[in-house]
Amino acid sequence: MGFFNSKEKIFDDWDVISTFLKSETLLQNKGELTPARRAGILYSIDNSNEFLVNFSKEISSILYEGEGATKTSYEIKKDGEEMRWIILEDGNFTDLVSSTYTIGNAIGSNSDKNNLIAAIFELYLSVKIDENSSRTGVRSYCIYRYDRKAFYPFIPTGDNEGERDKAAESVLGKDLRDSGLIIEKDFSQWMGVWGIPF
Amino acid sequence: MNKSVKSFKTDPKLVTRMYFTMFMLGVLYAAFSFLLMRLGVPIIFVAIIVGIFAIIQYSMSDKMVLKSTGAKEVSQKEEPELHDIVGMLASRYEMPMPKIAIIDSDVPNAFATGRNPNRSLIAVTTGIQKRLNKKELTAVIGHELAHIVNGDIKVLAMGNFFVTLTGFLMQMFFFNMLFGGMGRRREGGGAMMIAYFATIIVYFIGQLLVLALTRYREYGADHKGAEICGDPGSLADALAKISGTVSNIPDQDLRKLQTANAFLIISASLRGSGGLNLFSTHPSVEERIRRLRDLETRM
Repeated sequence: MGFFNSKEKIFDDWDVISTFLKSETLLQNKGELTPARRAGILYSIDNSNEFLVNFSKEISSILYEGEGATKTSYEIKKDGEEMRWIILEDGNFTDLVSSTYTIGNAIGSNSDKNNLIAAIFELYLSVKIDENSSRTGVRSYCIYRYDRKAFYPFIPTGDNEGERDKAAESVLGKDLRDSGLIIEKDFSQWMGVWGIPF
Repeated sequence: MNKSVKSFKTDPKLVTRMYFTMFMLGVLYAAFSFLLMRLGVPIIFVAIIVGIFAIIQYSMSDKMVLKSTGAKEVSQKEEPELHDIVGMLASRYEMPMPKIAIIDSDVPNAFATGRNPNRSLIAVTTGIQKRLNKKELTAVIGHELAHIVNGDIKVLAMGNFFVTLTGFLMQMFFFNMLFGGMGRRREGGGAMMIAYFATIIVYFIGQLLVLALTRYREYGADHKGAEICGDPGSLADALAKISGTVSNIPDQDLRKLQTANAFLIISASLRGSGGLNLFSTHPSVEERIRRLRDLETRM
């Protein structure tokens, strides 16, 4: 580490994504968060990349063969923004997190870094916004941005762009950070994803 | 320092920048004084006048602040919790108990003033008391007391003295050029013109350096306050609450950023959001929060 050019530690995707396991247990024990056992990997389609074009054929072997085989089920969807989603479902949260990382890693290793956008986990949470208000059973998401290597919460209040509960997201972000999750420090990077197809 | 105080490694880059800025201020004003003396400007006379004003302002700052902000000094009986917080932090800083004042305003804010720890005053608004919890308020007061302990009021009073002096000279030269004077009349016009333009440049650079110094001292107070409270996270939370940074959460869809990145040389996600802050007295709240979160992870 240089005197004039100290750099922050660069985390590997797994270093960050795996913190979700500890965080989930802590928050679930406090009764604030219930993961919905579903996650989605969002990536852009690049027709010149053979791996991405044929990726649907590769997923089964990635998920169900070899040492890290899981029982995670998957579905591929295309959204209105011309992006592709791999939606994963697993009753075992550890396996869900592990499968999400594995699929993301396969896409990231075989395509341009910019193709891989985010891994998104679905959650239900109870959040106390301030002394006078709280919300329970709120459908929310925890977004992991591959370019920022950090999570942030997203609580949409509608399907239109811009419809989100920023106050509740701020409180949830603090709780997630306190529970050990690596949270994006710059609020301006907490971009939403509206119309999540799961 | 109290044993319960957590000690963080000082940021060497920040310390270097702070001393470099102070050094540059010294060089700037020394060169400027030399130039004015060579041009025959009676700078000592002007410096004495401005100096007297600055000393009055500096020595009476606590009383002036109380008057100008409408702050009301409060007793232990009137504000027991606030007194307890300030008392606890003052003993950690090993400084005398400062005076405590309340400003009846819904705008969340707090400040410290006083030329030394023996004559210090800390003021908070009713707005900040309403919005912050005890931990966050403690962190904010820890930050304000750090300004006193770090001698920021003295350093900035000195920096501002030179800026005020240059501003005064600038006006003086301007009116001199218009109406003549200083016993030199027309024959000194060229020198006066040089002195006037030099003053404008020095005034501008001096302002920028003092503003930079102010921003560095803010980071320093954040650091020291975090050490004293042992809780950088609460100061970050307080800053987020007070500044309304939640409103920085964008309304934009992440997929649009990805599409935009395809047309940019530098990824939009990698570009800073603060913009040029050369003219700000405080560093960006986002950057302060980022630094405090970093301290938090190092605890």
